[in-house]
Amino acid sequence: MSATHHHHEEQDFLFKYIFSQDHKMISKQFLITGFLMGFIGMVMSTLFRLQLGFPGESFWAIDFFLGSWAENGVMAPDKYLALVTMHGTIMVFFLLTAGLSGTFSNLLIPLQIGARDMASGFLNMLSYWFFFVSTIIMLISLGVEGGAASAGWTIYPPLSALPQAIPGSGLGMTLWLISMAIFIASSLLGSLNYIVTILNLRTKGMTMTRLPLTIWAFLVTAILGVLSFPVLLSAALLLIFDRSFGTSFYLSDIYIGGQVLEHSGGSPILFEHLFWFLGHPEVYIVLLPALGITSEIVSTMSRKPIFGYRAMVTSILAIAFLSVIVWGHHMFVTGMNPFLGAVFTFTTLLIAIPSAVKVFNYITTLWKGNIIFSPAMLFSIGLVSTFISGGVTGLILGDSALDINIHDTYFVVGHFHIVMGLSAIFGMFAGVYHWFPKMFGRMMNNTIGFFHFWITIVCAYGVFFPMHFLGLAGVPRRYYTNSEFPLFDNMLDINELITWFAIVAAFAQLLFVFNFFYSALRGPRASQNPWRANSLEWTAPVEHIHGNWPGEIPEVHRWAYDYSKVDENGDYVNGEDFISQVVPLGPNEKDGGH
Amino acid sequence: MTSITLENNDYKKEIKQKTAKPLLWIGLMSIVMFFAGLTSAVIVSKGTAVWETIQIPSAFAISTVFILLSSLTFYIGERSLKNNQLTKGKLFILATLLLGLLFTVTQYIAWTDLYKNGVVWAGSESSATGSYFYALTALHLLHLLGGLISLLVVNIKSIKEKYNTENLLGVQLSSTYWHFLTALWVYLYLFLIFIA
Amino acid sequence: MVALVAIVAVLLIVISAVQTLKIAELWAINKGKVIYEVTKKQNKTQALLMLVFLVAYFAFFAWQVWKWGDLMLPVSASEHGVVTDKLLNITYAFIIPVFIITHIFLFWFAYKYAHNPNRKAVFFSHSNKLELVWTIIPSIALTVLILFGLSSWNEIMTPVDSEKEHVLIEVQAQQFSWNARYAGNDGKLGRAGVEFIEGINAMGIDINDKNAKDDKVVRGEIHLPVGVPVQFVFRSIDVIHSAYMPHFRAQMNCVPGVKTQFNFVPTITTKEMKKITNNKDFNYILLCNKICGAAHYNMQMDIIVESKEDYEKWLAEQKQFAEN
Ligand code: HEM
Ligand SMILES: [Cu+2]
Ligand SMILES: [Cu+2]
Repeated sequence: MSATHHHHEEQDFLFKYIFSQDHKMISKQFLITGFLMGFIGMVMSTLFRLQLGFPGESFWAIDFFLGSWAENGVMAPDKYLALVTMHGTIMVFFLLTAGLSGTFSNLLIPLQIGARDMASGFLNMLSYWFFFVSTIIMLISLGVEGGAASAGWTIYPPLSALPQAIPGSGLGMTLWLISMAIFIASSLLGSLNYIVTILNLRTKGMTMTRLPLTIWAFLVTAILGVLSFPVLLSAALLLIFDRSFGTSFYLSDIYIGGQVLEHSGGSPILFEHLFWFLGHPEVYIVLLPALGITSEIVSTMSRKPIFGYRAMVTSILAIAFLSVIVWGHHMFVTGMNPFLGAVFTFTTLLIAIPSAVKVFNYITTLWKGNIIFSPAMLFSIGLVSTFISGGVTGLILGDSALDINIHDTYFVVGHFHIVMGLSAIFGMFAGVYHWFPKMFGRMMNNTIGFFHFWITIVCAYGVFFPMHFLGLAGVPRRYYTNSEFPLFDNMLDINELITWFAIVAAFAQLLFVFNFFYSALRGPRASQNPWRANSLEWTAPVEHIHGNWPGEIPEVHRWAYDYSKVDENGDYVNGEDFISQVVPLGPNEKDGGH
Repeated sequence: MTSITLENNDYKKEIKQKTAKPLLWIGLMSIVMFFAGLTSAVIVSKGTAVWETIQIPSAFAISTVFILLSSLTFYIGERSLKNNQLTKGKLFILATLLLGLLFTVTQYIAWTDLYKNGVVWAGSESSATGSYFYALTALHLLHLLGGLISLLVVNIKSIKEKYNTENLLGVQLSSTYWHFLTALWVYLYLFLIFIA
Repeated sequence: MVALVAIVAVLLIVISAVQTLKIAELWAINKGKVIYEVTKKQNKTQALLMLVFLVAYFAFFAWQVWKWGDLMLPVSASEHGVVTDKLLNITYAFIIPVFIITHIFLFWFAYKYAHNPNRKAVFFSHSNKLELVWTIIPSIALTVLILFGLSSWNEIMTPVDSEKEHVLIEVQAQQFSWNARYAGNDGKLGRAGVEFIEGINAMGIDINDKNAKDDKVVRGEIHLPVGVPVQFVFRSIDVIHSAYMPHFRAQMNCVPGVKTQFNFVPTITTKEMKKITNNKDFNYILLCNKICGAAHYNMQMDIIVESKEDYEKWLAEQKQFAEN
């Protein structure tokens, strides 16, 4: 018994920090790797924003970061596309899929359901290492001959299939595909573990309807991943065949570089179908964990139960279900059968209903609460705002008749950055501020957090809101510069403004980086339950131990949202404004929101 | 301090008993989605591309018989081990491995037949139909390779008499995966007949 | 040298930030505070900032509309575009109020219900009635949007009736230019394919096809007669492009190996549009709106809408394919 304790102290460095199978350590590995990649993605966006805001001007920073990609400090047009592609790939997959799900699913699933670790620590470790290898390959691809993949993060063939079409479709694209294949393996391994752990290893009393919403969100996210990532893999595989072996799954009737290619009979549209069958669920894979995290935080920090727990769960499920039958809304102008287009419009607009329910429930949770504005809470409120601001424009894009004129314009860029990019990033920041004490045993600095939040949200809207106007003026996305069209000459001011906001936003993230490292190393020590929260992770000791709880795993007796519960006399049940899940129900007390 | 910690071997075993099968099942679900993606790609292509008719080599039919038989032997082998008939179990599990290898061989023969009939995998002479034929069967075979490796391990362990009524998890996992591969093959075979 | 100075400067900043923080924390601990708790004062400030942000956000929104409103696309120059714009306005009429009202509630509640130790939060965990209300209201609003949207969509996507008077134009995309041909007197486009591309026959028209002889290949610009339906057929010979004509609210991908279509009726001539936009250099354009390579950002063709007589005069001047 006490011998076991002895055991971990002797664990050598390699197995404790590098090849750890402990979910808490793996969670930190995901977080750090994800953030590092996110930082790189952000620097890329700042660089290409410089080009868009000040087309053709020479910049020291561009010269410094891009070297041979930018002669005299002006990036080359095809390298602009390489940067945009890498930025999108990194942000969507590495930061907001692996970084977000990997961090919080790993940290919270065992701790919140009352398990000693994941179902398989080994697979969990593999999942991280696959992820790590895929990031390394993706980074290496930046330096190869011809440059990194440049066909957009959606890598539509034939552009992505033919090195003659753009230099990045040579070795860079090959590495992109390899990296993504490994990434998909990582993501599947992670998802398997999350699902099985949640379904099989809950502690006594932790029924499905007592699960915190975080766990529901992680579960559904993992299921979506298992259903949709394999399809992306099949799409990528056929693309690899076309590129490397000369098959014709996607290619047909092509004349390029003065030559007719041998390929015939394939269809590029097929790729789009397969890609978006993953691609759309992917945006919810990014978003749902963020929604789960903020549900938890909004409730805790409002000192109120989350409003409509069952409706929240139902809407997560509804969103997930609908998300696999809407992919066609990315293909309205590919010449698809108009009837199909109509079906996809219908399913797409339906998603607005569960989304609206979620928003209203968040807002009602704030109503008559007792709100503590921790940085985590600020980011959660920010998420609700971005989810609304970006969500409403989805009604425009999802409507096929309207999409004709704004498809692939900056309107889309504005829309998805706000609803998916910002919401997910805000959820991730909220999660880090909130569970930092659980991860590092120390607290983050609030004041810096306040500044971080306000500068970020102001600049983020400053970057992405004006993009809608660009789109409505007809400015296409993925343009190296708008200066070739007299029609867009008046837009230069807007682009400049956006770039300034982007630069400030990027620098503001240094506040977070500083706060993160300072607090991890020097921050004040955390108490066991600093936010006075109900869920199970706060019953575990501050120091990380293998197996999470020193003794028996606590038994659960109630749902996670008994905040400010009062008895007939109007006094707090249990004497405080929160009741941990491990406290047994009183004689007259009912469980859940009844 | 109670005895339930992660270092405790009984605890580890208990977790494994509880989660190994669900892990496998959900893994199988992702393989299903992988092939669902591929076969729906075929259907989409069939609507757009020029579609060739292809003579299905009879070797594919033979390999279907082999893999069905192998599932049967695996089933019998597993049941024997469960009833502690170790020798019978050993034999049938060995037979499964051999049938699996025969399946692989007949797949190879089928490909050479296809090639002789002028169905090529890639290049200017190729058609999407032919490429799908090779791709689908090869990707199934790739998954079968994993099954063969697990069968090899199971064989070694059963020869060493590691399995018995109490300890059967490895066999069960391997056989679940194997039956899945059989079902997948039958589905693909019917699908190939349908698209040819 | 510059790099060295920069590194030293950054280091110094970080070190002094760490020290300042440490001192601030020690100070707070000295005064007996739990330093990571959000203080009453901080909480008040944050609550107030919620309101400030609400107002600032709306102000920013209004400022953008005011400042950039007239940079947006002018009135639609096609028949169906008018319907599209109307649909867009109806959608705005729905989403802008939703945006404003939900934001007011969100930030107002956040401000109003900031922490007060003398008050208890209300344990209000669900209400079937409320939840039903806000499931049903969006559903009704969406039904309206969907019905209107789909009827417009079906109308827009219906091809031109080939019996009626119309213009048939094939647009071919390639890295990084557009080619176009008119169907000629027979109203039929001749066969074409990448295998026929050679020299000046950039569109790969089959010389031996009799329908091809009178086709008219044009470069640089296309002309359209006002008020006559135009049926476009799109092709690409290399990668996917997208033919985007924002002033006509028209867009369709150009996909190698596949022919796609779009049609519209131009309603405003270029000349009239110059007046409407008060810009004598105004020109309708066709631009590429699907990432297609390094020069994707510069793949354009002018579109000129003119009276039927002018159009016919122009077309008569164009050479037939057989004459080349
Ligand atoms: C630092 C803040 C960010 C800035 C300034 C920024 C800016 C941009 C811009 C201007 C584009 C469009 C370029 C073009 O179409 O030509 C773009 C593309 C994109 N961004 Fe961001 N972005 C930021 C953060 C994010 C985040 C957090 C995400 C995560 C979802 C994200 C995902 C994407 C994706 C998926 C694309 C599309 C890439 C493509 O077209 O292939 N970005 N970004
Ligand atoms: Cu989508
Ligand atoms: Cu193009």
